[in-house]
Parts: sequence; C-alpha cells; structure tokens
Amino acid sequence: MKKVLIVDDSIAVARQLEKILASSGEFEVAGHAKNGAEAIKMKQTTKPDLICMDMNMPVMDGLTALRTLMAMDPNAKVVMVTSLGGVGDKFAEALRLGAKTVISKPFDTEGVLNTLRDL
Amino acid sequence: MAVKFFGQFLLEQRAVKQEDLLKAIELQETTNLKFGATALAMGLISLTAFERVHDAQRLEDLKFGDMAIKLGILTEEQVTQVLIRQKNNHLYIGEALVRIGALSSESLKHYLEAFKEDQAPYVVDRIVIPSGLPHPQMWEICADLTFKMLLRVAGLSTRPSASQISDRLDPVFLVGVMPFKGTVQGRYALGVTEATRLAIAKAILKEESVDGESEEVLNDTVLEFVNIVCGNIAAKAAQMGVSFEIDPPYTHFASAGPLVAVAGERILTFPIHVADGDPICLALFIHG
Repeated sequence: MKKVLIVDDSIAVARQLEKILASSGEFEVAGHAKNGAEAIKMKQTTKPDLICMDMNMPVMDGLTALRTLMAMDPNAKVVMVTSLGGVGDKFAEALRLGAKTVISKPFDTEGVLNTLRDL
Repeated sequence: MAVKFFGQFLLEQRAVKQEDLLKAIELQETTNLKFGATALAMGLISLTAFERVHDAQRLEDLKFGDMAIKLGILTEEQVTQVLIRQKNNHLYIGEALVRIGALSSESLKHYLEAFKEDQAPYVVDRIVIPSGLPHPQMWEICADLTFKMLLRVAGLSTRPSASQISDRLDPVFLVGVMPFKGTVQGRYALGVTEATRLAIAKAILKEESVDGESEEVLNDTVLEFVNIVCGNIAAKAAQMGVSFEIDPPYTHFASAGPLVAVAGERILTFPIHVADGDPICLALFIHG
C-alpha cells in the first residue's frame, strides 16, 4: 500500500483527502503536515511514496516547499492540490519545479485516485 | 469540477504527459511575445525607447502601451496595431501541443469540445455592479462564481438581491475572509449563518451528519469553501488578464463586531437569501 503525506493548513481538506485515499484501499495516510515547513520535516520522518500538497498555506507556501523537497530528493513524487491550479503561471511553475501534476479543488474522487495511481 | 486552464484539463484527462505540456508551455513563451517585445519586433520602437518605457513603468503603474503613448513614443493607432499582431500571432496551448507532436489535430478538436462542456457551468451570468467601481467585470465574476459554488459545492440554492455600496458588513454569525493582492486588491468576505455553516461543513466533509465535529473543524470548512471560491475566481480572472494572489483565509466572528473598510477600501455587498430563507452575505472590500 502506498503511503501518502498530506500537506494542507485546512483540517477539512485533509479529512476529505484521507477519506478519498481510505476508500480506495490502495493508499494509506503517512501523516498530515499543516504547512510547507512541517512537510519538509515529515518527509524525512514518514518517508512517504507520494506527497499531496496545497499551494496556498501560511508559514511556508506550497511552491517554496516544493522547491526544497525536490532539491532534497529529485525523485520525490509531489502532486500539488489547489483551487489555484488553473492559474497559468502557478500551474507552469509547479510543473517546472518538479510537481508531477496539479489536482483541482473541489475534489473529484475518481480523478484524484486515477492521478495518484498513475504515479 | 473547477475553473481550469486547457493544459491542466488535458493533464487530468491523461491526454498529454507532463513533460510534453512543459515543452508546449516553453514554445508558447518563446512565441507569444509581450507587448514591448512585439513593438520592437515590428520596428515601431527602438531599444532605447523600450528601456525608457520600462524605467517609467517602475515609477507609475501603467501598461506598456499606455506608458508608451504617455511618453509620446507610440500613437494610439500603433498600440492598436501591436495588440492586433499579438492577437493574430497568439499560440494557444492546444496548438503548441500539436506543433510539438504531443497531440493530433483531431484529438485537439475532441478535447476542446470536452473542455468547453466541462467549463460551461462557469460561464459568467450578467450581474449588475454599481457604477464608479474599478474593474467591474472582476466583481461580477466574484459574485457569479460565489452563487455557482454555493449551489455546486454546498448544494445551496440562492436568491441574490441587488448589490450595493456599504460602509460595513454586519456578520450574523461567522465571516470567512480572504485577502487578495495584484492587479486588483482587497478582501473577499462571505458571511454565513450557523445553518449555512452546517450545510457547507456537510458538503466539504462529504458527511450526512456533522453533529460530533468541533467548532474548529466546522469553521475550517467555511474557510475552505472561501478558499475554493477565491481560487476559482483567480483562475477565471487570469483567463481575462487580471492576476492576483490570494493569502490564507481567516475567520471573523459576529461577537467581534462589524467588519469595516480600512483606508482606501470600498465595500460592495451582495445580500443573498438561501432557498430556506437563511440570510447570508458576500462582501467585497475593494481597494482603490
């Protein structure tokens, strides 16, 4: 079963994602980081197979954290989770920094699972 | 469903690979020149004049063409010529993908149709904005997407009243506030009742009952709803050339009193009645 680290300042979003992941029986939640800085620490302690990370967070935003995570581990599989995914420059920047793709909110359960299965 | 760009839609549909999309974006960036570079390429301005316009833009917030007119470097007619050239030569992401061989022309047609259908629910309906406010189309999008998201995400049918300029927002129960800055600047605020908060919480958490949930979680669902709406507004606005960043949202409780405008802000309110008569309110604190 693949381990997923959820990075989002919203408890509600983390709960949504946990539920989607649990419903598949293919993924388990490795942990929940509430900002980019926590994600960097938890990546080392939880060793997730995948990271689902919000873009807009306090303390350290998702793109800054993504840059650091990819520098630490160029093979890291990071999916950006955001309602801002459609904004062209943010979207392109996330891909350039190494994100595998961007998932839009509100979530489409099957869409999220299909995306994660592909990675 | 959400407002999105065609490239993102293609990725979600697994029609293209991430690396091909990046190549196509790079091709777009080298093909779609900015206004100043297009004017240079057309021989309408010299490099010295180009740099003069750029320097002046650091001191005054004007678009390149407007500044060039102000400095007497370009005429209005020449600015129009540059805009037409930009429009005619614009390479869209779908065409760029075809050019690099990542998508066939037939597939492009198919996915464009599917994309149009996917995005149809987000086409802006006509909402009247009081005269005198800057960027009226932007506020129209804010109101329209709020009503649509209340229905599509939270399942709440709404009956909006006419918008009006106010000097404060009196919260009934809780307000989710999201600051934004960029081409437009201000705060998006959605004031909800306790009943509407519950409806939003059920929808966001996808639960039949949220009876056992803490206040923190319930309030967080309202903030997440505001986050989703504002993110979608930003995406829609970007498609129209208006860009802004959103900051993390925060809560304002009725117990803290009214939300008032800070210096330089005007408040545009949209009183909304949910189908069961519950009164909620969208307020846009507009700077400038």
